[in-house]
Amino acid sequence: MEAMEELKFVGKPTPRIDQQEKVLGAARYVDDLDFGPNLLHAQVVESSLAHARIKKIDTSEAEKLPGVVKVVTGKDFPYHFGLYMQDRHIFAQDKVRFAGEQVAAVIARDLATAKRAAKRVKIIYEPLPAILDPREAVKKDATLIHPELGAYSHVPWFFPKPGSNIAHWRKVRKGDTIQGFAEADLIFADTYRVPRYAHCSIELHGAIGLCDHSGRITVWAASQSPHTQRHIFAQALAPLGFTHQNLRVITPYVGGGFGGKAGVTMEILAAALPTLVKGYPIKIHWTREQEFYNTYQRPALVGTLKMGVKKDGTITAFDYLIHWDAGAYVEYGANVVNASGLSATGPYRIPNVRIDALCVYTNLPPGGPYRGFGYPELLFGVESHTTRMAQQLGMDVVAFKRKNAIREGDKLPYGAPMTPNGLTECIDRVVKTIEWGKKEEHSDPNKAIGKGFAIFWKAPAMPPNAASSAFLKFNEDASVNLLISAVEIGQGVLTAMAQIAAEILTVPPEKIRVESPDTDRNPYEWQTVASHVAWGTGNAVKRAAIDAREQIFEAVHHACFLEKDALYLEDEAVKCRTQPGFALLLKEIVINGIMVEDGTYRGGPIMGRGTFMPRFTSAMGDPDTGQGGHPCVHYTVGAAALTLEVDKQTGRMKVLKAVEAIDAGKAINPQIVKDQICGGLLQGLGTVLYEDMRFDESGKLLNPNFTDYKLPTAMDIPDEVIPIIVETPQADGPFGARGIAEHPTIPAAPMVANAVCDAVGVRVKSMPVTAEKVGLALAAGQTEVE
Amino acid sequence: MAVAREFEYFRPETLEHSISLLGEYGENARVLAGGTDMALKIKQGVETPKAVVDIKGISELERLESTDNGLHLGALVTFSQVMASGLVAANFPLLRDAAATVGSVGIRNRATLVGSLCSAVPSLDIGPALLVHEAVVLTRSAGGTRKTGINKWFTGPKQCALEPGELVTGIVVPLPPGKAGGCYVKRGRYAGKDPAQAGVGILAMEKNDYRVAFCAVGPVAKRAPSIETCLHGQELTDPLIKAAQALVPQEISPITDIRASKAYRTLIIKVMLERGLKTAVSRLKGKPSAHGAIWI
Repeated sequence: MEAMEELKFVGKPTPRIDQQEKVLGAARYVDDLDFGPNLLHAQVVESSLAHARIKKIDTSEAEKLPGVVKVVTGKDFPYHFGLYMQDRHIFAQDKVRFAGEQVAAVIARDLATAKRAAKRVKIIYEPLPAILDPREAVKKDATLIHPELGAYSHVPWFFPKPGSNIAHWRKVRKGDTIQGFAEADLIFADTYRVPRYAHCSIELHGAIGLCDHSGRITVWAASQSPHTQRHIFAQALAPLGFTHQNLRVITPYVGGGFGGKAGVTMEILAAALPTLVKGYPIKIHWTREQEFYNTYQRPALVGTLKMGVKKDGTITAFDYLIHWDAGAYVEYGANVVNASGLSATGPYRIPNVRIDALCVYTNLPPGGPYRGFGYPELLFGVESHTTRMAQQLGMDVVAFKRKNAIREGDKLPYGAPMTPNGLTECIDRVVKTIEWGKKEEHSDPNKAIGKGFAIFWKAPAMPPNAASSAFLKFNEDASVNLLISAVEIGQGVLTAMAQIAAEILTVPPEKIRVESPDTDRNPYEWQTVASHVAWGTGNAVKRAAIDAREQIFEAVHHACFLEKDALYLEDEAVKCRTQPGFALLLKEIVINGIMVEDGTYRGGPIMGRGTFMPRFTSAMGDPDTGQGGHPCVHYTVGAAALTLEVDKQTGRMKVLKAVEAIDAGKAINPQIVKDQICGGLLQGLGTVLYEDMRFDESGKLLNPNFTDYKLPTAMDIPDEVIPIIVETPQADGPFGARGIAEHPTIPAAPMVANAVCDAVGVRVKSMPVTAEKVGLALAAGQTEVE
Repeated sequence: MAVAREFEYFRPETLEHSISLLGEYGENARVLAGGTDMALKIKQGVETPKAVVDIKGISELERLESTDNGLHLGALVTFSQVMASGLVAANFPLLRDAAATVGSVGIRNRATLVGSLCSAVPSLDIGPALLVHEAVVLTRSAGGTRKTGINKWFTGPKQCALEPGELVTGIVVPLPPGKAGGCYVKRGRYAGKDPAQAGVGILAMEKNDYRVAFCAVGPVAKRAPSIETCLHGQELTDPLIKAAQALVPQEISPITDIRASKAYRTLIIKVMLERGLKTAVSRLKGKPSAHGAIWI
């Protein structure tokens, strides 16, 4: 690793390289792309019921409407698709499994005609019992949502239970929990509930597909996963003869992802529909309502947690039974259950662990990835519970958590050793900044002030061989085009990758253009998820830059007869340690090579390539214990605290001050890391204070809009947010970096619940922690809210 | 956003023309002013008018001016204009404060006060302020003009006394008889835009005269006569507030919906009444107090 003090671009708060394009409106998003007068529009016909058998679909009235090109139903595409488990169809086949599922689509000349025609498609259903609660769904006599479960193909680390609604059951067994509870002086159990949430990216889902007359499909999609989408399209459309080389996915700028645009949801329509109308681009664009009910939702859970502790605060045993409401299709959501289940203890050193994380089918919209990937949901329970146990022991909450905080080398729940981390440093810096232990009084007698604290961790959830790659080419002026397929979703990846390449090549970031993905041109990237691109793609970019540098040195060596080991780059020039006067400007050689004495040339266009794939991860854990595998590349840890004002008469809350520390390993761009901490924390505060999805008894979403899905506004930002960066280097990360993008959201919910309890003595055990829950409990003299 | 519905669109330039169109189409006509409510209703299919009469071209409906005994607000006056008006600020600060809690900046820039009276939602923020100021709604049809007291205007949830063929041309808000202090207290789920889950408008006047009105705790925004009688002629004290709070249940009929439970509305409306009364009285007495509505 390069010595830290020599870094010139990495670790500097570099302005975003895409900011001018975005501020000037030059940056184009999917909905900005112009496809000319032949563009067709598709409108889906949605299921009105949460669970029903389709008896008949009559499209004749829709087809009669002038301007309608084609009406498509499940008969046209009887194919499965899915990322980790192929349990979805492009259109519902014999059954619908959630309200809002696509049953048919109308392709028309214009959107208004498509909408009108879609209303004319008549579907006759035979209703089936809808299951909305995961603990109902696992009862013996429950209606099976997927009777065909046993036939679905899936990744080897899922363990479905055919004949039930359990799509996957992640078990972790470490040590001996019976013995561990026997050793405890205090055993305490309780149940925590977390509802469903929506990502609410500013940009909606949208995609345009074109199948040309040669049978080649191009999809322009607002996506976090262009290559994975191509692969899923190729799998789904294989029966029609399509292969990877006949599929191309292009992703322009994306206006927010948060997990919602990972994998494949509605984009499958943009790949499939054009195969029936060759030569015409077809656009399909969700409305805000559809964005809520027919993309991934963050799954809900009910978790029962039992812990044992000794009088001195040592945790001896941990037992967590989690029922996830993963929705009608779990092709992505099952991996949320899997990955978070493996680490459901939170960042604690616990010798005896039992975790049962059940991925349960329900008749609600498909659950999937959402910033935090299961950890915010699980840690709401864990960080509420550890706080309560410390209080029952009469111990300071921070002292209790710090005492049990996991350290490098401690055994993880699945047996592997914990990776390097600065958890205790995060705790100590947060505690100091929030002035933990100092009780604050409010000037208004109707209001109380409380403090809440939480620690957290998260590992990237990836297949063991999730790969990244980069391709780097020099231009005549020594500017660079860097081709990657990580997607800029607002997290600043373009800038961070430019900084990494800049550091190796000594070309400033503003001379590096980082290109958005086109699967025909840009090299492979698994997905822009899991907070892994700073690390994984960063490593690939660094290798590509080193590869390019080696090519430059090789050319100089051949042209100038200098030892490669003596060469180095500085200020866009090749220099030599043994010849202080030697300097060759990059712009003079990176395209045109180096002329030697006889007038011939050495070198040529410099093009670097780099790939990265973790080499030490494996998903081969034992199905019954989770032991033996090495599923996680590393953990990013942190701590957070806040000061909360609570109105004792109404329950109304306001965050006065919030502090959050995260161990970034090395902050490639400290400004962006701080922005991520502030933004992520606010997103987490939204989930705990205001947001939640509400469904009626039939499974229909009641609040697919911002009138009643309360996404926080600028006016709801805490008075003060203090981001803290801790840097314990990640040995295999680029310049020591690891990901931090999802993590800031994780501690928000439990620390608000903890602060409410500190302020007014009410323990809320279900999210969201609303003014109504707190106010009603205070009025009734209750100390707990289920 | 494509609206896949068809209707005739008219943009009359005169009041007379708009009245004749409304007379011609009767129940099948809807008036478009700000459109923040109507456009959404048409898009969602809640309203399926045959004719939409856009009144934005009728300049006389834009008037916001003093009258002999108060204030005239034309049908095209937006909430932002109410907030910015010096006339409103000088004599009707309660109106301004309530207007400032409606929707978001973008909504307030388009939405009209009169339009919101025609939408007549139970959570109407401006309702309590107009009720305690005893505003009068001015309507016109082919048959002539009509004046309706605001206390008779709201006839049910999303229902008002507007007849087919009629246009609300504006409202008149009379000046209070003497000095007054007002306060609007609103319950919202966060600091951003939100329909009220409970609202209280108070006008405290000289000689211990009080007017109290609620919104979002019953089918319509309404005055609370029993509470006003209880308070009448008395200095505001804690025991008096307690007595007034005890009368709240008989003045409200809240429901449970996605925004709040009946139990919570019942709980907080009493707190809101107390804080509203204290603030209004303090403003009446000219004591320094925080500007604007109180959010609960």
